[in-house]
Amino acid sequence: MKPVKSITIIDDPQVHEDQHVHVVYDQIASHFSSTRYKPWPIIAKFLSDLPTGWIGLDSGTGNGKYLPLPADRPGSVLTIGLDRSRNLLQIAQHAGSEPGCLITREVVWGDILGSGWRLGAFDYTISIATIHHLASHDRRKLAVQVRVTFIYRQKVHHQHVLQCLLQAVSPIHGRVMIYVWAIEQDELSKRSIPTSDTDGSDHYPLTGEDVFVPWVMSQNQHTAKGKFKNDIPPSATSKEVVSAAPTLAAEIPVYNRYYHMFAKGELKHLTIQAVEGLGLMVGSRESANAKGCRGVEIIQEGWERSNYYVELRRWVS
Amino acid sequence: MVRLITHNLLACHVKGCTTNNFPLIFQDVEVELQETEFNPDFIRNMLSRLEWTALVNAAKQVGDTSLPPEQPDMMDDELLQKLHHVLMEINVTDGAMVCQNCNHIYPISNGIPNMLLAEHEIG
Repeated sequence: MKPVKSITIIDDPQVHEDQHVHVVYDQIASHFSSTRYKPWPIIAKFLSDLPTGWIGLDSGTGNGKYLPLPADRPGSVLTIGLDRSRNLLQIAQHAGSEPGCLITREVVWGDILGSGWRLGAFDYTISIATIHHLASHDRRKLAVQVRVTFIYRQKVHHQHVLQCLLQAVSPIHGRVMIYVWAIEQDELSKRSIPTSDTDGSDHYPLTGEDVFVPWVMSQNQHTAKGKFKNDIPPSATSKEVVSAAPTLAAEIPVYNRYYHMFAKGELKHLTIQAVEGLGLMVGSRESANAKGCRGVEIIQEGWERSNYYVELRRWVS
Repeated sequence: MVRLITHNLLACHVKGCTTNNFPLIFQDVEVELQETEFNPDFIRNMLSRLEWTALVNAAKQVGDTSLPPEQPDMMDDELLQKLHHVLMEINVTDGAMVCQNCNHIYPISNGIPNMLLAEHEIG
């Protein structure tokens, strides 16, 4: 089992995110990509169901594994990949290529908190295993001293991303699919998640865990496939923030990635708050009692293989 | 790559830059033509998402003048082919896109546009 440590973030969230997410992914891009090749079934289905001619955004595309989908109708939709890691984008740029057949994907170097496109320009957005990397909303203020304040800011931050995703898609028919890591990991997961190591008194319901997940660089990167032979302890100790520089453990570099692991119900709760924050109704179009109302329907939500997901559709009555 | 289909979606997002922030203007671009499979249904169905005038002007900036200035009501196969070429086969590999409102420059290098903003530019 890969051990995962609980942490408390004590530095500037922007610096924290830069060090523990952006720098790390640039360093591990190639190895990381070689272990990320299987699409989640529910996302593959989501993309398969899209009408021909739709254009979408994969916010936090990583190695771009969703860009070639749907596999049964390649080229029927266009998904543009966005990521903060330029090294991962260089891989995503040619996702799905085979030897002798180089395919070029559309990728954009950007932040998922940005909005570098016409509002409502996309038909769909997906954000898979990305939102859990965000540290906090208010990046300009230095230092988060109080955990309660941090939790509040993080919630606002997560809501802001959800709102970015909702505003990127058509108000009339836009679809959104979001996946985040769950505290509840399945038996097949290589990770072991600690139960809260705080004293419990400051622990809110619907609040996940902030953790570092060590990424162990394999000596032979191409055959690693994410399997680890040894239990390598993370260099982070509880309540301490370590730098993203590789630490030597038996001469194998270990990079610590920051994650917020979501609790049961947390993603749905955040989604409802984000939707309401935009002045939109939560529910089906049929529930609107007047013409011209705008809303978002939760099509499905649940837990799949260590992740929580939610699928949304925008509507106008 | 920055294909013109992608360019037709991108807009400036610098703090406070909310009018005339689309389309971005190509500057000093290098262009590569890359043949891709023609999918007429995809082109026909995605048409309603396009900002036509922006597309025509962007095509001109990269040296293609094959599209009519006004979006025709009827799309025949010939026009769909032309659109496919303009939207999907013209790749901007290097250069920049500039906001006509605030002059912010978004560089393009090795086919990847940089839409990141500095901390003080984020809205």
